[in-house]
Amino acid sequence: MADRIAKLELEAARCRRNVVRMVEASHHGHLGGAMSCLDIVTALYFDKMHVGPEYIQDPERDRFILSAGHKCMAQYAVMAERGIFDKSILDTYGGFKTKIPGHPDMYKLPGVEANTGALGHGLAIATGMALGLRNDGKKAGVYVVMGDGELAEGSNWEAAAAAAHFGLSNLTLFVDYNGLQISGRVEDVMNFMPVTEKFRSFGWSVREIDGNNMAEVVETLDALPFQQGKPSMILARTVKSKGISFAEGKAAYHYWTPSGDELETAIRETEDAIKRLEAVCGEVQA
Amino acid sequence: MIGEWKDPRKEFGKAVSEIAEEKEDIVVISTDSGFSSGFKEFAGKHPDRYVECGIMEQGATGIAAGLACVGKTPVFCAIAPFVTCRNYEMFRNDLGYMRQNVKIVGRNGGFTYSDLGATHHSLEDFAITRMIPGVTVLCPQDPVEIRQACKAMLEMEGPVYMRIGNPKIPVLFEEDSPFAIGKGRLIRDGGDVTILSTGTVTAEVIKAAELLEAKGIHARVIGLGTVCPLDEEMILKAARETGRIVTVEEHYAQGGLGTMVAEFLSETEPVKVKKIGVPKEYATSGPYEDLIRYYGLDSESIAETVEKFCRE
Ligand SMILES: Cc1ncc(C[n+]2csc(CCOP(=O)(O)OP(=O)(O)O)c2C)c(N)n1
Ligand SMILES: [Mg+2]
Repeated sequence: MADRIAKLELEAARCRRNVVRMVEASHHGHLGGAMSCLDIVTALYFDKMHVGPEYIQDPERDRFILSAGHKCMAQYAVMAERGIFDKSILDTYGGFKTKIPGHPDMYKLPGVEANTGALGHGLAIATGMALGLRNDGKKAGVYVVMGDGELAEGSNWEAAAAAAHFGLSNLTLFVDYNGLQISGRVEDVMNFMPVTEKFRSFGWSVREIDGNNMAEVVETLDALPFQQGKPSMILARTVKSKGISFAEGKAAYHYWTPSGDELETAIRETEDAIKRLEAVCGEVQA
Repeated sequence: MIGEWKDPRKEFGKAVSEIAEEKEDIVVISTDSGFSSGFKEFAGKHPDRYVECGIMEQGATGIAAGLACVGKTPVFCAIAPFVTCRNYEMFRNDLGYMRQNVKIVGRNGGFTYSDLGATHHSLEDFAITRMIPGVTVLCPQDPVEIRQACKAMLEMEGPVYMRIGNPKIPVLFEEDSPFAIGKGRLIRDGGDVTILSTGTVTAEVIKAAELLEAKGIHARVIGLGTVCPLDEEMILKAARETGRIVTVEEHYAQGGLGTMVAEFLSETEPVKVKKIGVPKEYATSGPYEDLIRYYGLDSESIAETVEKFCRE
């Protein structure tokens, strides 16, 4: 287990570096939300989901839906690290006709499952996928990452009701609870607490974890579905801009346009994290 | 002609905030969108008149309608597709059908959120908002007209949709130039062809007219800060006098200004109409200037299209 966690932590560190690499190319991007959900997305692609470059068209593949499409740098970083597309494409972020636009596009980048970006669409699409797959007797699971500010979109609650009504145990929702949205603290902007109780009362099976703690994320994924006949919701407590010291926990870095030596600092910090974790992995293996 | 470059969102926020100092019925609605719409200062100064709803554009449209029902004048500004497409039925029924005095402002309109992709572009907002009976559709062309349009929309009763952009735009018009809803501006006179333009692309059209002049084509340029209702009188006169009409908009070439002009002229003065706009597709992404060029909305492409049209 220690080995498994250490390896995933190293992958996540490499993915954080990939996020910074995209901002090096474009000089802007939705940093905060990408970094907060990145450990979860890494665990899904590297440890949990049946996905990979060879399974892009496989009807049995698991589906990942990034409902908060603006966190796309997390998905691109992880897909590239996982070998689903060539890393050189990361350097086209923000560029004309790029395969990796500011919100994911399934026709531009094979492996993306839905064209998200307008908040509040992903859970309903995922509910439809999970329903269809389940009714066809397929084992595939559907995994959604949503923002906490995004919870305010009413469409999510329509889908939440439907998924429970249909009894979709093959559907898993991560709410990336970094506590912040553009205008400040989620609880000040539009309070949805207690989120866990709301989902429970809608008929979901619910857990609350530290979403930046790889061991907790993996343990949670291993326990899915939490309850047969119910969709699973994980309230993942995270830190916005996790891994970039000057930006952690600050709403202002929702969308980052690096100034001064911020970019150099971010490069250094993400590279140092990789070195540190490479050393840990070496020790764990030895 | 082309003056200082200004941020349209700040100009808009400032203009509405200034008017709201006098008109206390004005309330600002935000869906996690108010600070990016130029209302940070207003929110701090008037917390009781700044209604933060969180990211719920459909609900917020209904809330705005309700506030209007009890005498408030809500101004609700967010990213254009989310206050036109997403909440369309609330717009149609709660604002249009109920004739409520709500001002909806779509910012980052057109494809000014260029790199964020098609979910964040709004290339059909004129087409869908103008189909709601009783809705006035504004699309100011420069910072001066943004201020004038804010004043005009807050002076009139009834639902309004106004589109503004995102990148800085140049001043084109004099501060004290006349502005009225439903009236166009004669920006440049000419007898060979008339170019009707709306929104910030007018700056490109003005440059295109200069390029055409150098080639011996005298283009009349009419700027339309109002898309709906059309300035039918001015358009009819132009059709009669120049015989050829070109429309330019950062919108699908179908369904928007061009379509409205063609609809109108087909029943009154059926001249040839060339519609310049974006083809009906999910626009690609990238730097804004690249998209403008790619879709033929830069001055050189406009001049080229108009020249070809005149020589047909
Ligand atoms: C329907 C819709 N409304 C508004 C936006 C603009 N927007 C993009 S991100 C964001 C804030 C999201 O906050 P949250 O869900 O907490 O995401 P995170 O903190 O993970 O970035 C907003 C309002 C959008 N993309 N879609
Ligand atoms: Mg958040």
